Amino acid sequence: MSGEQATGRVLGRAMRLAPALRKGLRLTLLMAMAGQAITVVTPVVIQMIIDDEILAPEGIVMRDVLWKAALALATLAVGVVVGRAAVLRLIRSSATGLSDLRTMTFRHLLKRSVLHVEADRRGDLVSRVTSDVTTLQEFMEWGGVGMVIAGSQVILALGVMIYYEWRLALVALVGVILYLLLMRWFQRVLARNYDTVRVEVGRSLGVLSESISALPVVRSYGIEGSTKEKVADALDKRFWIEFRTARLGNILFSSAEVFAGALTAGIVVGGILIGTSQGMTAGTLVAFLFLTNLLIEPLQIVVETLEFAQSAASGLRRILGVLDSEVDMPDPEEPDHLRPGGLSARMHQVRFAYPNGNEVLTDITVDIPVGSRVAVVGETGSGKTTFAKLLVRLLDPSRGSVSIGGVDARRIPLEELRSRVAFVPQEGFLFDDTVGANVRYGQPEASDAEIWTAFHELGLGPWVESLPRGLETQAGERGGNLSSGERQLVALVRAWIGSPDLLVLDEATSAVDPALDVALRHAIERLTEGRTSVTIAHRMATAEGSDEVLVFDQGKLVERGRHRDLLSRGGVYAALYADWAAGTKTV
Amino acid sequence: MFSEQMTPLSVLRDGIRLIWRFVKRHPASFGLAVTGAALFAGAIIASARVIGWVTDTVIIPVLDEGVDPADLLAPAALLILAVAVSKAGGIVLRRTAAMWLQLRTRQDVRNELLAHQLRLKMSWYNRQAVGDLLAVAESDVDQGTGVLAPLPYATGVTLLLFGTTTMITLIDPWLGLGALIGLIVVLVVDVRGSWITYSMWEEVQRARGEVSAVAHESFDGALTVKSLGREDYVSDRFGHVSDEVRDRLIRVNSTWASYQAVIRVLPQVMIVCLLVVGAARIEAGAVTPGELITVAYLLALLAFPVQLIGFVLWDLAGSLAGWRRVQDVFDAEEFVTYGDVLARERGEPAPLDGETVGFAYDEEGAVLEDLELHLRAGTTLAVVGPTGSGKSTLSLLLARLWDPDAGAIYLDGADLRSFSISELPKEVAYVAQNAFLFDDTVAGNITLGEEFSETELRQAGRLAGAEGFISELPDGYDTQLGERGTTLSGGQRQRIALARALIRRPRLLILDDATSAVDPSVEAEILRSLKSAELPSTVVVVAYRPASIRLADEVVYVDEGRILAHGAHDDLLETSPGYARLVQAYEEDARRMAEEAS
Repeated sequence: MSGEQATGRVLGRAMRLAPALRKGLRLTLLMAMAGQAITVVTPVVIQMIIDDEILAPEGIVMRDVLWKAALALATLAVGVVVGRAAVLRLIRSSATGLSDLRTMTFRHLLKRSVLHVEADRRGDLVSRVTSDVTTLQEFMEWGGVGMVIAGSQVILALGVMIYYEWRLALVALVGVILYLLLMRWFQRVLARNYDTVRVEVGRSLGVLSESISALPVVRSYGIEGSTKEKVADALDKRFWIEFRTARLGNILFSSAEVFAGALTAGIVVGGILIGTSQGMTAGTLVAFLFLTNLLIEPLQIVVETLEFAQSAASGLRRILGVLDSEVDMPDPEEPDHLRPGGLSARMHQVRFAYPNGNEVLTDITVDIPVGSRVAVVGETGSGKTTFAKLLVRLLDPSRGSVSIGGVDARRIPLEELRSRVAFVPQEGFLFDDTVGANVRYGQPEASDAEIWTAFHELGLGPWVESLPRGLETQAGERGGNLSSGERQLVALVRAWIGSPDLLVLDEATSAVDPALDVALRHAIERLTEGRTSVTIAHRMATAEGSDEVLVFDQGKLVERGRHRDLLSRGGVYAALYADWAAGTKTV
Repeated sequence: MFSEQMTPLSVLRDGIRLIWRFVKRHPASFGLAVTGAALFAGAIIASARVIGWVTDTVIIPVLDEGVDPADLLAPAALLILAVAVSKAGGIVLRRTAAMWLQLRTRQDVRNELLAHQLRLKMSWYNRQAVGDLLAVAESDVDQGTGVLAPLPYATGVTLLLFGTTTMITLIDPWLGLGALIGLIVVLVVDVRGSWITYSMWEEVQRARGEVSAVAHESFDGALTVKSLGREDYVSDRFGHVSDEVRDRLIRVNSTWASYQAVIRVLPQVMIVCLLVVGAARIEAGAVTPGELITVAYLLALLAFPVQLIGFVLWDLAGSLAGWRRVQDVFDAEEFVTYGDVLARERGEPAPLDGETVGFAYDEEGAVLEDLELHLRAGTTLAVVGPTGSGKSTLSLLLARLWDPDAGAIYLDGADLRSFSISELPKEVAYVAQNAFLFDDTVAGNITLGEEFSETELRQAGRLAGAEGFISELPDGYDTQLGERGTTLSGGQRQRIALARALIRRPRLLILDDATSAVDPSVEAEILRSLKSAELPSTVVVVAYRPASIRLADEVVYVDEGRILAHGAHDDLLETSPGYARLVQAYEEDARRMAEEAS
C-alpha cells in the first residue's frame, strides 16, 4: 500500500503547486455523490412496488404506483442536474490546474542548462510538458471523474443495502473486498507483463522508424531485402508478446464475471436463509440483486482507474522532479550592476567539468581588455565552445570565476547580462516565423525600418532584398527554408540589433558557398568593429585579423599572442595554420 | 477539416468498407470474435431470465408464501453460476480473437507500408516530411486499425439490443414497445453526442499538436533563447498555446458530460416507466412479477454497454481519419522501374556518360538542362558551383536516386534504368552530406550486414580518415552507436558514412558534399589518400573548398543547371571568369584584408 500512499502525497503536492486543482474540491465531491443517487433509485422503487403493491394483500393501487414513479423520476431529474454540475466543476478545475502546471514546468525547464548541454535528452524533456501532462489530463477527465462517480455509486449502493438488511449487506461487503483484492492481484501480474510489452513495442517502432528514415541509404546500398527482414522480425516478436499479454489479461478479467455470478448466487442463498430466519420481504431481496449489479461495474472502473492512477502519478512524479530540480543559473541574491560602455572579460583559474566528471576545461586564466578582438582556435573537442558558453554565462564554471566588466558574472542580473552580452552560436537557430520576427528576438522593440537598416549596415542589404518576400519571408521550421550560412546571417543581424558591448561568436564550421562565406565574414567584421569580441575561429583569416589569438588544446590554454608571433613560434598554432593554408589556397 | 464532410452515416458506410478490408484477410479470427460476442449477449439475456425465474419460483414463494426453500437453493445458485461462466467464456473468446485480428492486421499493414515505400521513387520520398511518414507507420496505423478491437463488442451489443427487445416483446407486447422506443431514444442521443464531441476532440488534438511543436522548437532553440534572454517571451507563448488546449478541453468535456448525464439516466427512467406499465399488466394478469423483474434487470444490465456504444462511432471516425493517411502512402504509385542488366565484377573503375540530361522538381523550372558529361574510367571529377546551381541534383541522378526527366545517364554504356533491382548499388556508392547512421555498431554501420574481412574494414576506416576517433571509442569498431549515432560529431558521422562507401570498392563513387562537417585539413587528407590508394573508382565529388577541388583531375563548373565549363582546374581559372571568381573568393578576401592591415 506504500505505493498508493506515495501517489497520494504526489497528488497533494500537485494540488499545492496548482491551486486551481483543489479549488472547491470538497463541494464537487459532495455534488458528485448526490448526483449518483440516481443509480439507487431504481432498486428502491422496485422494492416498494413489489412489496407494497404487487405482493400487498390489498393488491395493486395504480394511483400509488404512479405517485411512487413520479417521485422516482423527480429524484432522477435532480440527480442528473447535480451530477452534471459536479462533473463540469471537476473538468474545469483539472483543465485549469494542469495547464498552469504545464506552463510552470516549461518555464522551469527553460531555465536549465541541460537543454543545450545534453541535447540528446531534449526529446525526453519535451515529453514532460506534452505526453506526461496529457496522461494526467486524461486521467483527470476519464479516470478521475469516473472514479468519483463509480466510488460514490459503490458507497451509496452499500449504504442502501445496510439500510435494508445489514447481515446480507455484510455478505455483499465481504464479496466486494475479495473482488478488489483479486483484481489488484491480477493487475500486478499484468503490470509486469506490460513492461515487457512496452519495451518490445518501443523496439519494433525504433526499427521501423529507422528503416523509413534511412530510405535513401537503403536504396543507395541496395539493402532492401535485409531491411524488410529486420523489420518483419521485430514486428513479429512484438505481435506475440502483445497477444500473449492481452490473452492473459482477458482470462484474468473475465473471471470477474464468474465472481459476479458467485456473488449474486451468494446473495440469493444468503437472502433466502436470512429472510426465512429473520424475516425479509421478497421486494428487498430483489432490490438486493439490483444493488449487487450496481456494485460490480463501478468496481471494475475503480480497479482500472487505480492502474491508470499509477501511470498518471509516475508522469506527475516526473513533472515534479523537473520542478524540484535546482535552477543551475539562478539570478543573484545581491546583484551588482555593469557600468555603461565597453565591457572587458576575465577568467580566473576556471575549470569546467560535466556532471559525469568529464573535464572539458582546466585552469583557464585570461584577460580580455575592452575593445579588443580575440580569436579562439583549437581542434574539435579542445574546449573552445565551452569557453564561449562560460563567457556569456550559459554555463557556470565548476571552479574559478568569470567576470564581465570587472563584475563577477554570477552577480549580474541575467536580464542585464543578456542585454549587454551577445552570443551567436554556431548553428544559427531560427524560429518558424518570418526573417524579420527572428531578428526581433534580439530586440523586441525594433521596427521594420530598424531591422532593414541593420541588414544594410552589415552589408547584407542585397541578400535580404533577394529574398522572395524580404523581411516577411518565412524561415520555415528551424529555419529550414534558408541554408545554414543564411541562418547564421540572420543570427548575426539578431545580435547586432541588440547592440551588445561584448560579443561572443562561434563561427560556423560547415562549408558554405564561397560568395555567402565572404558576405558572412564581412558581416562579422562589421559586427565586431569597435566592441570587445571573442570569436571561436574556424577560419584562420579571422585569427590573422585579430588582436590576440587564444589557442586551446585538450582543455588547456596552450598559446596566446598575435598571429605573427605565434606563427613564428612553431607550436600548436603554427601547425593548425599550416593545415589550413594547405586546405584553402587555390594554387 | 474532414469533420465537416463526414456525417454519422458516411462514417458508418466508409467504416464498414474499411472494416471489411481488414476482416477479409483474417475471417477466422473475426468469426470467432463474433461467436464470442453472441455468446456474451446470449448469456446476459439468459442471466436476466434466470433472475426473473428465481424471483417467481424461489424468492416470492419462499419469502412471501412461506414455501420451504430446501430443494430450491442449489439449482438457483448453480443456474446463476452457469450463466456467469458462459458469459465469461464469451468475453474471453471475443476479446482474444479480436486482439488477434487487430494485432495481426497492424503487423501486416506495417510490413506492407515499408515494402511499398521501398519500391517508390526517391522523388516521392523527398516530397514527404520524414516525421510524417514515421507518424503514419506508428500512430496512424494504430489509429486506423483502432476500430477492430471494439468491433466485436459493438456486434455483441447490437445483438443484445435485438435480443432484449425481442424477449421483452415475447413477454408482453406493450412492455416490448416501451423498451423499443426507449432504446431508440438512448441510441439517438448517444450517437449524436459522440458525433458532436468527436469533432471537438479533433480540435483538442490539433491544439495539443501545437503545444508539442512550440515545446520542441523552444527547447531545440534553447541556446538561442537563453543567450538572447528571451525565456519569458517564449514561456508566455507556450502558456498561450497551453491555455488554448485548456479552453478546448473544457468545452468538449462539458458537452460530453451533458450528453453522458442524459445517457446514464435514460435507462433508469425507462425502468421506472416500465414498472408502471408492468404493474398495470400484472394487475391485468398478463405478466408475472418475475417477468417484470426480468425486463427491469435486463434494462439495468444494458445501461452500461449502451453508454459505450457511442464510443464505437468515435473509434470508427478516428480509424477513418488515421487510415486516410495510411492509404495516401499506399496510393502513391511512382514505383522505380528496373531492367535486367547485372553488375560487373568489382575491380576496375567504370566510365560514366550523361547525355542531354534534364531534370525539374516541379513545373517551376528546370534544375538541370541539356547536360552533357563524359568521364573516362578512373577520373576524379569535382563538381563546383554556387548554392542552388544543381550540383546535388546532378549527383543524385548519377547515383540513380532520382531519374532524369530527359536524356539518360550511362554506366559502362548501360542506361542506369536498365539495371536489375539491387544491382546498381554494387557498382555505385553514393555518400550524402547528411550521414545517416543506424542503431548498430560502427562495424555494422560500415558493412551494413555484408561480409567483409577485418582487414577490409580497417582499410576502409583508414581511408575515410575515421581510424583515429574509432580507435578511441570504448569498443573500437564494435562500439554501439545508439539511435542515429547522436553520440558522434557531424564530421565523425560523415567519415563513417564514407567508410561505408569505400569498403565496397565501388566502380563509381559519388561524394555529395560528404565531408562538409570535417575539418578542412582532414578533408584534404581524406581526398589525398583516396587518390593515392589507387581505388578502382571513378569519383565524382561535390566540393566547396579549394583544396578539395584542386585534388580532382577534372572540374565541371555548374551554374543555373548547366555546365558552363569543363576541364582542368588551372585551365578553368584562366578561361572561366565565373569559376575563377567563385573559387578565389577566399583568396581575394584574404588579400584585401592583408592590404587593409598593412
